[in-house]
Amino acid sequence: MASVEMPAPMQMPQAREERVAAQVLVCLGPTFAEPGSTTGFRVIVPLLEALHARLADGPNGASPILLAHPALPSMPEERLRNDLVRSVAYTPASDARTMWLQTAADYRVARDLMVEHQCTCCLMLGAEAQDVAPDTLLAMIDTVLRGQADLAVPCYETEIDEALLNSALIYPLTRSIYGANVRMPLPVDLAMSARMCERMGQAAAKALPGALMWPIAEAAAAGFSLAEVASARRPDLQRGDIDLNGIIALIGSSIFSDVESKAQFWQRTRPLLEVKHIGQNAAITANKGAPDKAEANTLIDSFRLGYGNLHEIWALVLPPNSLLGLKKLSLMPVENFRMSNALWVRVVYDFLLAHRLRTINRGHLLGALTPLYLAWVATYVLECDTPDDAKKHVEALALAFEADKPYLVSRWRWPDRFNP
Amino acid sequence: MFSQVHDALFESLKRVLATMAAFVPGVVVLLLAVVLFALLGAGLAWVVRRFLLRVRFDEHIGRENSAGVADWSPSHSPTLLMTRLVFWGCVLLGLTVGIFGFDAAYDGRFRISGFILPYVAHSVGAIVIFLVGNVIARFLARGVLISAVNARMQYARALSLGVKWMVLVFTGALVLNNLGIGGSVVELAFGILFGGIVLTLSLAIGLGSRDIVSRSLEKTATDLNTSPAERAASEERPRTLRHF
Repeated sequence: MASVEMPAPMQMPQAREERVAAQVLVCLGPTFAEPGSTTGFRVIVPLLEALHARLADGPNGASPILLAHPALPSMPEERLRNDLVRSVAYTPASDARTMWLQTAADYRVARDLMVEHQCTCCLMLGAEAQDVAPDTLLAMIDTVLRGQADLAVPCYETEIDEALLNSALIYPLTRSIYGANVRMPLPVDLAMSARMCERMGQAAAKALPGALMWPIAEAAAAGFSLAEVASARRPDLQRGDIDLNGIIALIGSSIFSDVESKAQFWQRTRPLLEVKHIGQNAAITANKGAPDKAEANTLIDSFRLGYGNLHEIWALVLPPNSLLGLKKLSLMPVENFRMSNALWVRVVYDFLLAHRLRTINRGHLLGALTPLYLAWVATYVLECDTPDDAKKHVEALALAFEADKPYLVSRWRWPDRFNP
Repeated sequence: MFSQVHDALFESLKRVLATMAAFVPGVVVLLLAVVLFALLGAGLAWVVRRFLLRVRFDEHIGRENSAGVADWSPSHSPTLLMTRLVFWGCVLLGLTVGIFGFDAAYDGRFRISGFILPYVAHSVGAIVIFLVGNVIARFLARGVLISAVNARMQYARALSLGVKWMVLVFTGALVLNNLGIGGSVVELAFGILFGGIVLTLSLAIGLGSRDIVSRSLEKTATDLNTSPAERAASEERPRTLRHF
């Protein structure tokens, strides 16, 4: 039997003494397949030891932690030799392009191992997880083991000029579509109950191995409970050669496809999902100062270049009202450059509809979204000097997404209806 | 003399009528074959459409191939693409059967299918090349335009137009070549046009990117000449935005 003792630091709830029967599967992502000292799975040992110190032993004194790590390419049979942790190696199948995020292949592996080893909680860790605070992971595991949530995800602190795609698109869209107020809906690390893991495994079985998965959406559609754990800043992820266009194409296409696949669920009006928030952090900080305002000029130039060249393509996707708004935006001087939340929301919803209707090639569609997104970022940079400004800006955007959801539902059902 | 003229006219009329009498049945056979096969094609297309709708073919294709067949098909529906392929395949088959039927029904001195059939095949090929070439030109032009804009190239539209016309010129040359029109003139004209477009694009990109290349070279030279400490100091520049 295992137990979880909650740590005290970082405004987390106070430690609890009760012991919870459990066996935790810690599943490392494929990035840990590198045999090097900085990226191989051995770097995770100190973190595992810290977790082990807080968890009680399993049945017959067995370790409460089962570590699943990717097999080393050079030594497929190599396993972690550690007295505290039992380990099992698996063969990673993820697409290298998306290795820094959890993919369908990772969820399949986790589901299979959960079933095979009869674990009660699965903790999936992404790249560079060795530097994640053990308190955060313990809080996530504890929440799941106590049955308070089927899915626990972290809410990492970010700088004011970080995670902008999350603030602009992923968070507000997930919140408005699924009613789940979770700040980071595409988690790199997460803890799942057995049934949540099973659900994700089933969803992953229908997807390509390298496809991204959206656990918040799955949990919302299944009616499972959610928890969000406040956490310190996460180390930067190594994302390889993928640039902004690649990220928008990868994540935009994935989230749009996921929304399309769950249309039956989100078209009905539902109350907001109850999300258990554990701990407290600033969410957005400005430890390294406010964003550089000079960046806004470059972003606005990119938008104007896009407006001059991609106007015809946008006209295939956006209604006249939005095009008029973009025209006015392109003529604004830098100091007054502001993209309204309403305009950005309509842009996202219309691109989502065009993605569903295949108005133009989906790769082209998401490529054409980039200059519009940069216009939003320019507005964000110009408007937000402090973390409070940023929080208010993101909150206002999320509310705008929610307020305009009837437009999306209406056009989803009747796409050919006149739309000024 | 009048009787000779009369005889000549009468003889000519007789020959024309005889030729037409031999020709019309062939035409009727040709039309009948085309119409029958078109009807057959419509029926088959209907069956195929019903079947594909029943098995949710569009959804399967959309899920498994997000940027493939569906993007090339009419109204972005692979089912519609399949049904149209079946219909036009049947019409083409009907045309071939009709030409052979015409040949059998026409009691001429030469076998008309001997030169009509290859030409029909080439014409169909030319039409297909023309359509596919246009689609590819539009697709590539749009892709290049978007990529160039996102790479902040000021000459994105020129680049896109250049790529589009390169593909169109190539397609035009292939179509004319397939139809057997123009001969070596087409090859020569194609070479001149294609080369001209490539040269224009090269000059445009080369001149437009001159500053970028020189900055890149300067940076490389500076990096080689600076010490690690200076390099570390220069890396402490204002942070750039992080999107994810």
